[in-house]
Amino acid sequence: MLTYLRKRIIASALPLVVVIVGVFALARMTGNPAALYLPLNATDTMRAEFAARNGLDQPIWVQMAQYFGGIFRFDFGTSMRTGQDAAQMALRAFPATLQLAATTMIIAIILALIVGSAAAMKPNGILDRCSSFISMTAASIPDFWLAIVGIWVFAITLGVVPTSGVVGAAAWFLPVATLVMRPFGTLVQVIRGAMVSALSEPYIKLARSKGATEYRVIAQHALRNAAAPGLTVAGDLTVGLVNGAVVVETIFGWPGIGKLMIDSILQRDFAVLQACVLLTAVAIFVLNILIDLGYALLDPRVRPSAGARQRRKARAAQGPTHGSENRTLAPVGPALSTSESSRGNH
Amino acid sequence: MLLVTPRSRRIPLALAASALLGTTALSGCSVANSEDAAGGSSAPSDTLRVVLQQEPPTLEACESNLTSTGVVIRSTITEPLVERNPTSGELEPKLATQWSSKDDQTWTLKLREGVKFHDGSDFNADDAIATIDRAVNSKLGCNVEGYVFGDDDLKLKKVDDYTIEVTAAKKDPILPLRLSFLEVVPKETSTTEKVREPIGTGPYQIEDWQAGQSINVAAFADYWGEAPAYSKANYQWRSEGSVRAAMITSGEADIATGLSPEDNIGDLGVSYPNNETVALRMHADTAPFDDIRIRRAVNYAIDKESIVASLYAGRDKAAAQLVPSGVVGHSDDLPVWEFNLDKAKELVAEAKADGTDVSAPINLVVRTAQFPKIQELAQVIQEQLTQAGLTVNLKMLETSQHLTYQVRPFPTKDDGAIMLMTQHGNQAGDAAFTVDQYMTSKGAQSAFGTPELDELIAQADAASGDDRQAAFEKVFKYQNDEVVQFAHIAHQTGMLGISSSVAYEPNSSSGDELRLAEVTAAK
Repeated sequence: MLTYLRKRIIASALPLVVVIVGVFALARMTGNPAALYLPLNATDTMRAEFAARNGLDQPIWVQMAQYFGGIFRFDFGTSMRTGQDAAQMALRAFPATLQLAATTMIIAIILALIVGSAAAMKPNGILDRCSSFISMTAASIPDFWLAIVGIWVFAITLGVVPTSGVVGAAAWFLPVATLVMRPFGTLVQVIRGAMVSALSEPYIKLARSKGATEYRVIAQHALRNAAAPGLTVAGDLTVGLVNGAVVVETIFGWPGIGKLMIDSILQRDFAVLQACVLLTAVAIFVLNILIDLGYALLDPRVRPSAGARQRRKARAAQGPTHGSENRTLAPVGPALSTSESSRGNH
Repeated sequence: MLLVTPRSRRIPLALAASALLGTTALSGCSVANSEDAAGGSSAPSDTLRVVLQQEPPTLEACESNLTSTGVVIRSTITEPLVERNPTSGELEPKLATQWSSKDDQTWTLKLREGVKFHDGSDFNADDAIATIDRAVNSKLGCNVEGYVFGDDDLKLKKVDDYTIEVTAAKKDPILPLRLSFLEVVPKETSTTEKVREPIGTGPYQIEDWQAGQSINVAAFADYWGEAPAYSKANYQWRSEGSVRAAMITSGEADIATGLSPEDNIGDLGVSYPNNETVALRMHADTAPFDDIRIRRAVNYAIDKESIVASLYAGRDKAAAQLVPSGVVGHSDDLPVWEFNLDKAKELVAEAKADGTDVSAPINLVVRTAQFPKIQELAQVIQEQLTQAGLTVNLKMLETSQHLTYQVRPFPTKDDGAIMLMTQHGNQAGDAAFTVDQYMTSKGAQSAFGTPELDELIAQADAASGDDRQAAFEKVFKYQNDEVVQFAHIAHQTGMLGISSSVAYEPNSSSGDELRLAEVTAAK
């Protein structure tokens, strides 16, 4: 496992460097911050002093070297907009986004498992058609529209929840309800499709013929094998939320990292933008590892040990081999075919 | 190594599920770093709840000319020496009780006695001098320095504990007005770093600032003036206008800033003149704007009265100059260009006959979402100018791109003549803050000028009293008659959402300086 993690970290280093360099370069292509931070009638002297104060008078490679050096000290500099430490601003906003993303995904996954499984029990039945309509609608509704309608119905007309804000448990209702729709709709369709495939496999017939209860057939056999594609899609959806649910954070005044990033881009607040992007990039890297570990839990064949066992078996069968050997882990990606899954746990 | 037997496989799954559900349960209690602020719907009635468009980036006193900062601190947390009455335009005493000058260059200010800062220290001449020195003469890079004072430093002298002398680099008849932009802080305030949460002398002091969520302030017990009606106030911010309006209608907030009728605020929306003026700036370096007849034709071709009536429901007012009523230099007698499409066509035809390339493309440069219905306004103008025989392309740009057109140096290689839609706000109350930037030959936001107009502006800048008013009126008339850099569209209005539980009458400064001490409970 340590070898696996080490390889993943090394493999992720290059993309992280690309992200770090990319955000540095792209941020500076948006223009000179002095145009936004100084009054429009600021004199040349004032503009020069502003550039010197913020290190913008240095050659670009010097600025980049200082930026890289700062990363190793976890010093991203100071926000031009607020005068606060950029890393602290990003770290303060990130937990709020993580909480929102985790809550949303847990609810979406649980609901999708229930609705998707129920729909798959009788393909093209009334329940299946209803769930298909609901899930496609949920996956298609724009966040912005849903949020505004939600405020109008639940906060203004019914008065049961606050319009926005973060104070009290009721404040979670509208942001989560708005965010949960798209993951729920997408996951229902994925899980429903995977369950339909799984339920037609021979091992399900075998389980039923052995007298297993319907609950056990679905929960222990079919759902376990149908979960892998669901996990893939859920992972992608979670990554999107961890990046910041900008629309929802903006409308509901949720102090998350998505809104902070957008504000930093609009205000050319380079230090905060760089801190936010690096933090989310690292978080997404960690999330991907967790998703891989989730696969390992679901399917023994994708575990690192499984790959090693297979290689040992192959060597034993073929005798000593020479030359290069594929030392990478067994595939941990999402491409599990239904036929592979059907052999997974049985 | 994550090796589990088939039977024990359920344990980590169960653990993971429990952990996730635990997270959810915890999430239901509170958002990270949040505390139970007083801004909820159950806030006590002695708390005034205000919802702003955005979180202030800082509450630093020397950045108070930034709208998002000034709306919170000016005359609420901190106070200036002199304060401009937004309705009458007159300067009124605040921390200075008297001011006078014999030569318009050296000004003597008598300071108020018995004033305390929120930290308990007494206010005196040292604090007043330190405040001016810090904001204007230091290397701190205060926004107010660039906005109001420029590169010239001020000479400061303490006469006694409650009298100071301020000397400008040259004659400055409006120096007290400039000083009204400076919010007073104690002499101990850092001169090398900006301060996010200032200590002031205002009727409210900062209690806590939960970054990203809210600011709470409490009435200052030792305030020198009349105690405010509310003992506490809570600021929150929402970017979306419809959400701010919903907070008023649902009773979650008492005052909301930056609304428009489209936000469904209904009868709780109160409009007020906000000192903003919309105009088109024509760059005369390229055809067809190098011919003054075309610039006049643009003015004749735009039906300003219909625009105001149809797009802005009659709240705005057709404009003849860049400053609205209430600003020194504005003239009610200056006529709005009449809408006369025939006259516009005639001028275009004349120019064409004399060799002007009237078919040359004109780029109407507009900032996306700068104010309500800006895109519709741009489309109407495009259509009306097309009817006059001009070729107009609409360029909708985001803020940073738009700024490259707004301030010198302007783009020189555009694919057409530039016509910039600009929104100018004069919150200072004196036309000098407008014309120096927008009308002089080298002004930061002026596309061109003439030596004659520059001379008129210089004379107006040096004048005082009634002469100053007359001199600036002359400047605006000369621009309309002889220069025609601008086609003025409308003086705008802002809108506040005010709940039925509070009483507050907005004025032209309310969007930049919401004085909480002027808000009372509705009777």
